[in-house]
Amino acid sequence: MLLTLDLNDPRPLHEQVAGAIRRAIADGSYVPGDRLPPARDLAGALGINANTVLRALRDLRDEGLLEFRRGRGVSVLGRPDAHAVLVEAARELLAEADRYGYGPEEVIHIIRELS
Amino acid sequence: MRASSTGRNIPAPSPPADGPVPSRGPAIAVAAVWGSLVTAVMVAVPLALRDRLPDPMATHWSGGSVPDDSKSFTVNLVVDLTLWGVVWIVLLAAALHGAGLRTRIIRINWWAFLFGWAVFALGVQGSTLYANLDAATWREAELPPWMIFAVLLAGFAVGALAGYLGRGAPDPATGRPAGPPPALRLRPGRHTVWVSRVSNRWLTSLAVAALVAALVVAGLIMVGVADTPAAWSFLAAAVPIALLGVATATVRVTVDPRGLRVGLGPWGWPARRTRVESIESAWAERRTPGEVGGWGIRGIPGTGRVTLMLRAGDHLVVRRTGGGEFAVSADDAERGAALLNAYIAEASRS
Repeated sequence: MLLTLDLNDPRPLHEQVAGAIRRAIADGSYVPGDRLPPARDLAGALGINANTVLRALRDLRDEGLLEFRRGRGVSVLGRPDAHAVLVEAARELLAEADRYGYGPEEVIHIIRELS
Repeated sequence: MRASSTGRNIPAPSPPADGPVPSRGPAIAVAAVWGSLVTAVMVAVPLALRDRLPDPMATHWSGGSVPDDSKSFTVNLVVDLTLWGVVWIVLLAAALHGAGLRTRIIRINWWAFLFGWAVFALGVQGSTLYANLDAATWREAELPPWMIFAVLLAGFAVGALAGYLGRGAPDPATGRPAGPPPALRLRPGRHTVWVSRVSNRWLTSLAVAALVAALVVAGLIMVGVADTPAAWSFLAAAVPIALLGVATATVRVTVDPRGLRVGLGPWGWPARRTRVESIESAWAERRTPGEVGGWGIRGIPGTGRVTLMLRAGDHLVVRRTGGGEFAVSADDAERGAALLNAYIAEASRS
């Protein structure tokens, strides 16, 4: 599982982790039925607390993306809905725009021009 | 789209599928001549000595030098010839078969068996003849115990030497994809990692079974029921098997900016870290236990290639800058390899 955290993202860490896992499921690297690496492994690789990852996993379970099963760990239950994927993509876009000094209004303007 | 994708449709000038097989022709000739020679000796020598041999002959010795089994001259000759002939025919068939001697490990074994097994078969026959020579009946045919060891040792030594001489050139890195290795774009201000965990249920069950058996035996020893050498030697075997089994039935593979980390066992410890600077490139490859010789840590001496095999399927393979390859079972290995390559490129730029 490929996970990316944005070091400049002001959101709480558990939201960022949830976003990263959501992206991994959205881009097809994990399909329903696949088992996720244990929270401990993910936390160790990201260099964060395992409880933070667990909180992210619980959020995603409440979203209907993951399922927790005793003895089987955490597995993917469904794909994120279009809205969640688009929100994640928009967040990426805004972060990218910010790096070039563009504000949200300018991004909206660009989108208007394109559509 | 990658710039190189336009070149993908042009067939790469790769060597033909059945490639150069360096020692095949001579190998068949040597096997035919040497095998015929061995067979001729194995037929001619007993026939020449037939008058000085008892019939039936002593053919089996247990423990000491006194025989405990016999066979008629003809049956013994047939058994000896079969001992050699079957192996010879299998070796010839393997060499004649196109794919026969393509990899180094097969060449080593092939040459080792061709000469080592011949020496062993000749030794078995020779020592039997030696013991029976000029004996009045088979019960008086004494075989010095050192002879058995000498035959085994000679066979092994000749086999090892023949295998070494016949090893040929090292295997080319076959699995490496012809195209560019997978890569992805790293963005500044991001922390990207890749995590994969694979475990083999059967290996885990085996290890747990060994552990339970060891605990039961240890318990029996402690209460004094089974304080026997057999119980202790069982423990001596079962405990390492259980620990090794637990350690190699689960593997946790992580890629982060520092490089590749492979953690063994359910706790990911002990772990082995390969730094980005010492990795030349990474890619994903399908491998099966049959290709690498089984499950667990598999390596072929002399090739520098090691595989940590947990199941057939995707493996993350890294080639070290100092030469040598390491492969480990990993789901989603393509992404892991791509990330590793990205970090390698980043490290070489700075």
